[in-house]
Amino acid sequence: MTEMMPKERIQRFFNREPVDVMPCFSGMGMVTVQAIEQMGIRFAEVHTSAEHMAHSAITTAELFGFDAVVIPYDMCTVPEALGRGVSLYQDSEEILYPTVPSKWATLDEAAIPTDYLSQGRMPVVDEALGIAKSKGDGRFAVGGWVLGPFTMAGQLIELDVLLKGTRRQKEKVENFLSQMTDLVIQVARHYQNLGADYMNIREMGSGTAIISPRVWKMFIQENLQKIFSALKSPRILHICGSTDMIIEMMNECGADALSVDQKNNVAETRKKLGDEVLLLGNFDPYETLVQMDASEVEQVIKTCIDAGVDAVWPGCDIWPDAKKENVETYVRTVRGYGKRPSPEVGRV
Amino acid sequence: MGKEGLRDELLKALSDAVVDMDEDKTGELAQKVLDEGLNAYDAVMNGLAAGMEIVGDLYDKHEYFVPELLLCADALYAGLDILKPHIKPEDLGESAKGQVVIGTVQGDVHDIGKNIIKMMFEVGGFTVHDLGRDVPLEKFVEEQMRTDSEIVALSAMMTTTMMGMKKVVEMIKEKNPNVAIMLGGAPMTKDVSELFGADGYADSAGNAVQEAIKMISRLREMQK
Repeated sequence: MTEMMPKERIQRFFNREPVDVMPCFSGMGMVTVQAIEQMGIRFAEVHTSAEHMAHSAITTAELFGFDAVVIPYDMCTVPEALGRGVSLYQDSEEILYPTVPSKWATLDEAAIPTDYLSQGRMPVVDEALGIAKSKGDGRFAVGGWVLGPFTMAGQLIELDVLLKGTRRQKEKVENFLSQMTDLVIQVARHYQNLGADYMNIREMGSGTAIISPRVWKMFIQENLQKIFSALKSPRILHICGSTDMIIEMMNECGADALSVDQKNNVAETRKKLGDEVLLLGNFDPYETLVQMDASEVEQVIKTCIDAGVDAVWPGCDIWPDAKKENVETYVRTVRGYGKRPSPEVGRV
Repeated sequence: MGKEGLRDELLKALSDAVVDMDEDKTGELAQKVLDEGLNAYDAVMNGLAAGMEIVGDLYDKHEYFVPELLLCADALYAGLDILKPHIKPEDLGESAKGQVVIGTVQGDVHDIGKNIIKMMFEVGGFTVHDLGRDVPLEKFVEEQMRTDSEIVALSAMMTTTMMGMKKVVEMIKEKNPNVAIMLGGAPMTKDVSELFGADGYADSAGNAVQEAIKMISRLREMQK
């Protein structure tokens, strides 16, 4: 049997067709400092250059043997394009992702411009996707992601206004989330049209450490259903933090796969949802790849596989300053221990 | 009704109003405490703060979530704003001199957990120096030295900004090992907090209420 090319492996994986081995990829940032150093640039420089963004993603995948590159890197490209500005920390020696400096103070102030796809760093991301496609295509799948409507709203409106609004300004919050839903669909479709091979919707601000399952059902579920029905496959729903109480509702949203982090009890989730669900997760990327001794990483990855994931995904962006040996052990264990079939995906 | 009976009744009502997220009610009740000549500090600690402690428990039991926590905090502030100017320094004791530097570290603009902790320290009678959010690391060190605060509370919601906390802990402990450092935020675990050399941690806004109360009592013990 010949070894599959990474892109084919991921395509088959999402089609639930047998693969040669478990793919090693993510739907969130996977850039590492090893790639940044090899390129001779600073982390702060990747956010404003399509070349740097695409090449650091590809270099990371080449260095560690990932099956995919993932673009964009930060959560501020859309808010910036909507006029909320961006803090890039370009003088900082720390590894800092951009943030949104000025959110709308009230729901009444929010106004979505129509030309945002061409504003801010949106064209940089478009170009980076194009480079990743042309330079990495075939060797790697190209993954894209967009924040979910509630999380996107939290990047644009002061979070306390949004959260309190779920109790005190229900109609206004519903209207705003409906606008966000249309926006998320537009951006995700845009990236799909540019060639993203899979699309991850990161509704990370909606776990039950923040809002109740009742509020989740009321404000989140229907919007996610609308998004997933508007996008072509493969589509993933990722929520980090506490998801045990909402995992069944997540599964009703129409995504092709569900991604959860280390706070989810995956073995229980597998029991609740059955084997016919593509489940991705669920190690703590910071603890596993930055803090742990490399010798402990193998067990973490095996535990994810034993609990019943179809592919081992980090619960969030890989922290760029991950230890080289830890990332290598993570990839090696996925390939070695992932030779046997997962609950939903067989092996050739 | 005797003064004691009235006190008990008003304190219970204040606590209930916080739990019920009723800003108007806490405001009215706080005013009544003053009108009846009752002790403002007693009303803050055993009325408003007692209510917030129940709120923290409700959060832990998944009956309340962050929206409820925020509305309860608003209710608490409505009472605190009225009562605070009437608190006597002698009621506060040592904590009257207590100072806290608080902020969300650079690269992070999430400040809900930070604001809840800030509120609990204000309730406890501390002077809070709030640096806001997205605060450069060295600013925490400068502010601690400038104010000679006993506590520095740092918050980071994102894993990606958590590393900055480690540097702040090191910088502060190097200059003044006696400063108590509290770390908060979703990515925080006991192990990370210990690894970073902190004295306390909270991984959620609800948990922050309990942790702040614990830290305040620990400091009071130390001051005795």
